[in-house]
Amino acid sequence: MTSRSQRIVFWSLVWFSIIVLSLPTVIVLGASVTAGNIITFPPQGFSLKWYEQIAMARDLRQAFGRSIHVSLICLAVSVPVGTLAGIALTRFRLRFSSLIQVYLLLPFTIPLIGSGIGMMLLFGSWGILGSVWPLGVALAVINLPFIIWSVSSSAAALDGDLELAAASCGAGRIEAFLHVTLPGVMPGVITGGLLMFVLAMSEFLVSLLLTDARTVTLPVQIYNNIRSIITPDLAAVSSVFVVLALLAVWLLDRLVGLEIFLKSK
Amino acid sequence: MNTGHPKTPTDKPAAGSNVAVCASNVTMDFSGFKAVNNASFELEAGKFLTILGPSGSGKTTLLQMIAGFLTPTSGEITINGKSVDAAPPHRRSIGMVFQKLALFPHMTAAQNVAFPLKMRRFNPKTIPNRVAQFLDLVKLGDYGARRVNELSGGQQQRVAIARALVFEPELLLLDEPLAALDVKLREEMQLEFRRIQHELGVTTINVTHDQREALVVSDDIIVMDSGKIQQQARPVEMYRAPDNPFVAGFLGMSSFLRGTACAGGLVVEGQRVAGTASAAIADGAPVCGAIRAEQIRIAASEAQLGDCDTRLSGVVRDAIFEGERQLYVVALNTAGEAEIRVYHHDPLTFGLFEIGAPVVLGWNTSDMKIFADGGAE
Repeated sequence: MTSRSQRIVFWSLVWFSIIVLSLPTVIVLGASVTAGNIITFPPQGFSLKWYEQIAMARDLRQAFGRSIHVSLICLAVSVPVGTLAGIALTRFRLRFSSLIQVYLLLPFTIPLIGSGIGMMLLFGSWGILGSVWPLGVALAVINLPFIIWSVSSSAAALDGDLELAAASCGAGRIEAFLHVTLPGVMPGVITGGLLMFVLAMSEFLVSLLLTDARTVTLPVQIYNNIRSIITPDLAAVSSVFVVLALLAVWLLDRLVGLEIFLKSK
Repeated sequence: MNTGHPKTPTDKPAAGSNVAVCASNVTMDFSGFKAVNNASFELEAGKFLTILGPSGSGKTTLLQMIAGFLTPTSGEITINGKSVDAAPPHRRSIGMVFQKLALFPHMTAAQNVAFPLKMRRFNPKTIPNRVAQFLDLVKLGDYGARRVNELSGGQQQRVAIARALVFEPELLLLDEPLAALDVKLREEMQLEFRRIQHELGVTTINVTHDQREALVVSDDIIVMDSGKIQQQARPVEMYRAPDNPFVAGFLGMSSFLRGTACAGGLVVEGQRVAGTASAAIADGAPVCGAIRAEQIRIAASEAQLGDCDTRLSGVVRDAIFEGERQLYVVALNTAGEAEIRVYHHDPLTFGLFEIGAPVVLGWNTSDMKIFADGGAE
């Protein structure tokens, strides 16, 4: 049994952490419903007028649409690549497997500003900087380790003989992959996919470098707005982001259960 | 060469031939290491064969070659008279129960059992009936809708058996599926395997390192060691008449005497011990005599030994209580103080001998088997 003083210390630490971690979100949420014209906390009165405003603002709406577009492209690239790589790294004995793993983690070790500038130069020389899709590909590359980890941990939990069992049931290699391996790692694919989507929605630095006035995504648009005048509509946009992220977590919990997400390395 | 083994369940054993599985001179060479070395055996249709051996003996490698997961370096395997070497595993009509079962975790018990039927293109209308029939066979009739992880260990075993048998394969392979179970469940499942195998009459090859399991379930046993088949025989024959010291030591509890051959026995450090050799051995050749622990009588005086024709005296070195019997380790007074292990199975005289007590051992000459020395114990 823990003593009374231990419990007091434990719970004060827990509450301190919860408050510190959630305070920015609470402030933003509060500021977004102010009736006044400047960002303040606590809010002055209650109104949803800033939500109305961002719903009407053309630039924010378009930027949001582009962000969704970018995130979907990111998914389209990273889900097949990450799934196959994650399965290959855990289920097959590959030559240079550890080397490949290090290589796939490289995007983490290079500062985002570095890889961002590199991609800007590369995409610029290819003449594709004016489109939206290259950003989706870039974000898929940068965040790839997340989905690989998530799929790998799912794949590692599977019985090593699963594909052999499928073969003895009469399944060819492709049938075994589609009916046995893929459904087996599906929790990892869903987890990784949602993670990739949320990360792509909110990524800022590389997005800033790879977009221009015609292709700005939501985080970059918010940044541009801050530079001119700070109004509560930014808090409203941020709140929408928070709700989106919560939605993703809720979806994750419904689809595969949160414990798989928490267990994935 | 059989390259297109049909995915149908109607492939019955070829008429006239009673040999279901035949391996001839099969070798698996892993870059210099021969996991299976020149193995040949035949298995009659409808029989239950156990390949028994210690870990690393090559028994699992042999099974994987039969299943098609490994291709032999040399030699040929035929199933029902057709060579299967060119057929990939999914084109062979073989059901398999894996060591860790390898059930599909995202499916229910019934979906697991239905999977081979779908993959092997059974008529979809017949699948539900057949699944129900095989779930009944393994006594899981009411559990079809359960997910695999909602079933107990024994129930998962049963799903794996049903999945392996539902398409009525020509051959059933069991890759130590019982190794991870506790003793009681293991013994229950051994009898289950036996019952189901009798009911369906499917030719079965089981791999295990558990000698008791091999004796209990099999029609035929193959003992393997270091990649080689040591002996193939029926359980009783294998136990009573081992071909070599390895088999004698691996099945049951045997003691070994090492010496040189003489007429009607062997000489160990000057002591002549009578015995029976199955093959002719030249006098003076190095030999090894093996005697089973339960074929020896132990007593305080020679008068109590009855009609045993070999009698040697010794001292009790160790006494181990094993529940239904007592194991004595006795050091002989002669024969270089060789240690002999003896099972004593008389509840009325339990605990008769203390460590250090002088005893006499007696056995029948016919039970002391003499082999040319060369094999390991």
